[in-house]
Amino acid sequence: MSDPTTTIAINGLTKRYGETAAVDDLTIAIPQGSIFGLLGTNGAGKTTTFKCMLGLARATSGSVAFNGKPLAPEMFEQMSYVPERCALYEWMTGAEHLEMQRRAFKRYDPKRADRLVDMFALDRKKKVGKYSKGQQTAMALVLAFSTHPEILVLDEPASGLDPVHQRHVLDLIIGEAASGATIVFSSHQIGQVERAADRVAILHQGTLRLAGEVEQLKADVKVVEAVFETDAPSLNGLQNDPAVGYVQRTGRLLRVYVRGRGDEIEKAIAAKGPRSLRVLDQNLEDIFLSTVGASPSNGTEA
Amino acid sequence: MSSVFTVDPHSGVPIYLQLIEQVKRSVALGVLAPGEQLPTVKALATSLTINPNTVARVYRELERDGVIETSPGRGSFIRANGGIGNATRAAADVAAAAIDGAVREAKSIGIAPEQAHELFKRALARWYPERHETEDRSL
Repeated sequence: MSDPTTTIAINGLTKRYGETAAVDDLTIAIPQGSIFGLLGTNGAGKTTTFKCMLGLARATSGSVAFNGKPLAPEMFEQMSYVPERCALYEWMTGAEHLEMQRRAFKRYDPKRADRLVDMFALDRKKKVGKYSKGQQTAMALVLAFSTHPEILVLDEPASGLDPVHQRHVLDLIIGEAASGATIVFSSHQIGQVERAADRVAILHQGTLRLAGEVEQLKADVKVVEAVFETDAPSLNGLQNDPAVGYVQRTGRLLRVYVRGRGDEIEKAIAAKGPRSLRVLDQNLEDIFLSTVGASPSNGTEA
Repeated sequence: MSSVFTVDPHSGVPIYLQLIEQVKRSVALGVLAPGEQLPTVKALATSLTINPNTVARVYRELERDGVIETSPGRGSFIRANGGIGNATRAAADVAAAAIDGAVREAKSIGIAPEQAHELFKRALARWYPERHETEDRSL
């Protein structure tokens, strides 16, 4: 991943609604061919970020560039957006939506659209208003993928879908990225992001808390757990090390959350002569929960 | 083809490390033969439902380690010369790390070195029964 070309550059993006900043000084670079997962609890600023990226909301400050240029109408031919809330016309049938897409996009691929409609088992003749929530999501995805977009922005693309169709969505995203498309998506299902995304950003209360390559985060983020013969000893300032996230102490048990330099921290703790010492791996959900402060062991102390 | 590999994307162990280890193990065990073609990045990524850049990284590192060779336009193949040797050496590293981890675990729960040694001998006797018998006779 040496010097990848940045397809989407978000620079100092801020969106205020009155006094509150829904997104505060967000900077993210998304390389071409990447699947970028945006994680956050409700109200973290994910949807606002998407809206600002696509010109659906006006940023208070900051900028978004696609291949180095600000958003322009001619770019929409190469982009697809699936919003969190369904943006289809309820009085139109599935087939009518496909026809509208065909007329609007030169890149529309009718064969692919047909395959996707069948894959999600959608009824072309039915009015979209009569579709279930999951079927509406599926229809929006069919339209989004029917044009072979170079950039895809998907806000909760699997919501309301059954597990089989959710897997189809992930495989579509993966196939598209393997063909060179750049994809940004949000999902509350961290397991899906963990599978599909190569990079993630964790937003919390409008600010960026953590960003990086998923595999690198897993390699860097560890919990060093030590059990001592008596009460856990003083850490002599180790808790102020920038690589140390938090320290949890429960009697003889000591847990130190580290990001990077795990070996070094482990050695420093080993030097205090614990009876037992182990290093625990963290999956993306663990990393997410401790980043947004929802981890049960978040009571920081020194 | 893809059924040869499985990964646990929800583990704290990076997926690329899991996959590299599995390919090496498969080559060392002969599940993948020299000259055998690996799936394309896109095919393997979609069949395992994992990120394509992760698969591309696995292939790059396996090529660097001399286990596979990639020719542009043709695809990736298990290396005919040295592929098995390189994979077996790598698989031995994995075994060494597992033994290291087991000894470390024994120590951390307070097992004495003599007792750990006894446990190790017992494991050897179980998995290398032929060798154990000859050693016994020589004693």
